[in-house]
Amino acid sequence: MQNLLHDMNPSLKFVLVTLSMFAIAFFFNPWTPFFFWVGVLLMQVFMSIVNWKTWSLFMLPFALGAFGYLWTTIVFAADTSGEVIWSYLGFQVTADQLETALSLAFRVMAFSTLSLMFAFTTDPVKFIMSLMQQMKLSPKLAYGVLVGYQFLPVMKDEFNQIQQAHRLRGAEVEKNALRRLLGMRKVLIPMLAGAVRNAERSAFAMEARGFTGEARSEYFQVIKLQKADAAMTAIFAFLLIVSCSAGFWF
Amino acid sequence: MNRLYPLNCDGELTGSIRLFGKDAESYAPGEINRRVATVFQDPDSQFCMPTVEEELAFTLENLHVPRENMQTRITEILKLTGLSALRHEVIQSLSGGTKQRVAAACALVMEPEVLLLDEPISHLDPVTAKEFIHWLDRLQQDLNLTIVAVEHRLDLWDSFFSREIQLDRSGCFISDKIASVRSPVSLPERVSSMGSEIILKAEEIAVKANGKELMTGLSFTAHKGEIMVVAGPNGSGKSSLLKALCGIYPLDAGSIQSPGVGFVPQSPEYLFLEKTVAKELAFSGIATPEELDDLMDRLRLKEIQYDHPFSVSHGQKRRVATGAMLADRRTVVLMDEPTSGQDAAALLELHRMIAERSDEGATFLIVTHDMEFAASLADSLLLIKDGKMTGKYPAYEVWKNTDLLAEHHLLPPKGVVQFAKSFA
Repeated sequence: MQNLLHDMNPSLKFVLVTLSMFAIAFFFNPWTPFFFWVGVLLMQVFMSIVNWKTWSLFMLPFALGAFGYLWTTIVFAADTSGEVIWSYLGFQVTADQLETALSLAFRVMAFSTLSLMFAFTTDPVKFIMSLMQQMKLSPKLAYGVLVGYQFLPVMKDEFNQIQQAHRLRGAEVEKNALRRLLGMRKVLIPMLAGAVRNAERSAFAMEARGFTGEARSEYFQVIKLQKADAAMTAIFAFLLIVSCSAGFWF
Repeated sequence: MNRLYPLNCDGELTGSIRLFGKDAESYAPGEINRRVATVFQDPDSQFCMPTVEEELAFTLENLHVPRENMQTRITEILKLTGLSALRHEVIQSLSGGTKQRVAAACALVMEPEVLLLDEPISHLDPVTAKEFIHWLDRLQQDLNLTIVAVEHRLDLWDSFFSREIQLDRSGCFISDKIASVRSPVSLPERVSSMGSEIILKAEEIAVKANGKELMTGLSFTAHKGEIMVVAGPNGSGKSSLLKALCGIYPLDAGSIQSPGVGFVPQSPEYLFLEKTVAKELAFSGIATPEELDDLMDRLRLKEIQYDHPFSVSHGQKRRVATGAMLADRRTVVLMDEPTSGQDAAALLELHRMIAERSDEGATFLIVTHDMEFAASLADSLLLIKDGKMTGKYPAYEVWKNTDLLAEHHLLPPKGVVQFAKSFA
């Protein structure tokens, strides 16, 4: 049960997540995103194994953003007509305002939770393999992404080393954020030069091992669609229908 | 010969190559690669999958091997190459020598008739390189493979090859003859210019990074004009020591006394901040124009002073980086692996550069595995193992002590061994 989201076919998960996002985007009442958000949270709790501390850290900026939406929409709404339900220190809040504000805030929460659910339960390598097998992604592109993924730790290491070297030269750290961003250029040039060299070497190594970029006839790691995937699709569909219709109940 | 040139890099090929009795042009892309496999130089950039098993499978998928055969072929090749225990390991976490073995296994899983090697040991330390060569030698005999290698450091290969083809700098053919066992590049002898003044004093230094102890209790001194080689197995903390000495890593305990310590990383271009070589040296504004002029003259940088530091040769880059350190009055220069992947000419240039600067009074601490290089240059050796200092020894004492060398993954320099034998 706790592994359901992790074992789900990554391509299918990707399609379901994208479709749900599109569907929810068309509902402007606060209930639809709210129900959807709660549903996704429940799925995350019962069908996956997550480090909740990291999850909360990732969620924090989104939560702040959602609160920001809520606050600004209530206080600085353009349309202030309608029934006043609450007034304090000269601020007047109408029912319409509150509804739009809540709708926006829940939408941010729903989308970010959904994205995090995908990110936290999907192995990038499996995802690419699945895209190749189920979605007919070109192997050229797919293996390109995989090689890039292998290089990420190397690039991070290089970045640190260059920064250390620059500090040694006495290149002071700029206080001004814009200047610092411009200063990054000096770190990025040697990194890019290295990246181009590495990319060329990798390409040669792959071709020397018979990689031509044409579609493959056999896969070692077959990623299938299983019964559990059908069940998960049903759960997603159910959640989507419940939350979409929720808008019409209230 | 593996048909990557000319097609895959817009090159031009004149003349003809016949492979297995057929013109090379007539093979389809990828077709020849299953009969002629290749192992490249850089252990870090020849893999595209996370684990050893997946990497082998990638090769088999390229060859359209049926899925039911993949498992057996992977198991077989791992057994043959002695890598079975590493089947599910993450490749990036393996050591350089093991990565090269995995690369060779990936080439051999195609069941090729010819194996091409492109300087496969240039990124390995000498002991690891030797082990790799022995391992390859056994495989070659087991599988009856044809092996063609490109290599400029032939001394480690001993009698591995049976034939050699020499090319000159412009790629022209010089000779094709029966291979001979090579002695290493002979580097000139030098007279030490070590002075009596102590210029660097490290006392009981300890370094921690991310809560992990990198080294503890290191104490040593260096004199003016001294050339000290820092050696030890991979991962023993040599690079960390250099970074601690020049202040990149903060000290956890102990103290370092020195008027100025500079650092030249393995890739000297990491240091560069300016658009021309001259501006690069003048970056800190510490040295006067006369001093800079003099320094550039001595480092032979005058002819490239208006070039972009990224566009000059590797040896020149290292001279620019050293110059920048000396211009900042950092008279103790630390060098991280300056010898790795260098051919004979580059080694000679490096040797000359270091010897000249030392004669002028600069002190060098050099991390290197190349004991031939160390023997011709070093006044003293600092041996490190597992983040602890074994000791600082005068160079000539270490060459005699084979146990000490073996313990630190080093091979005694051949010149010295032959010298010792002739006296025995």
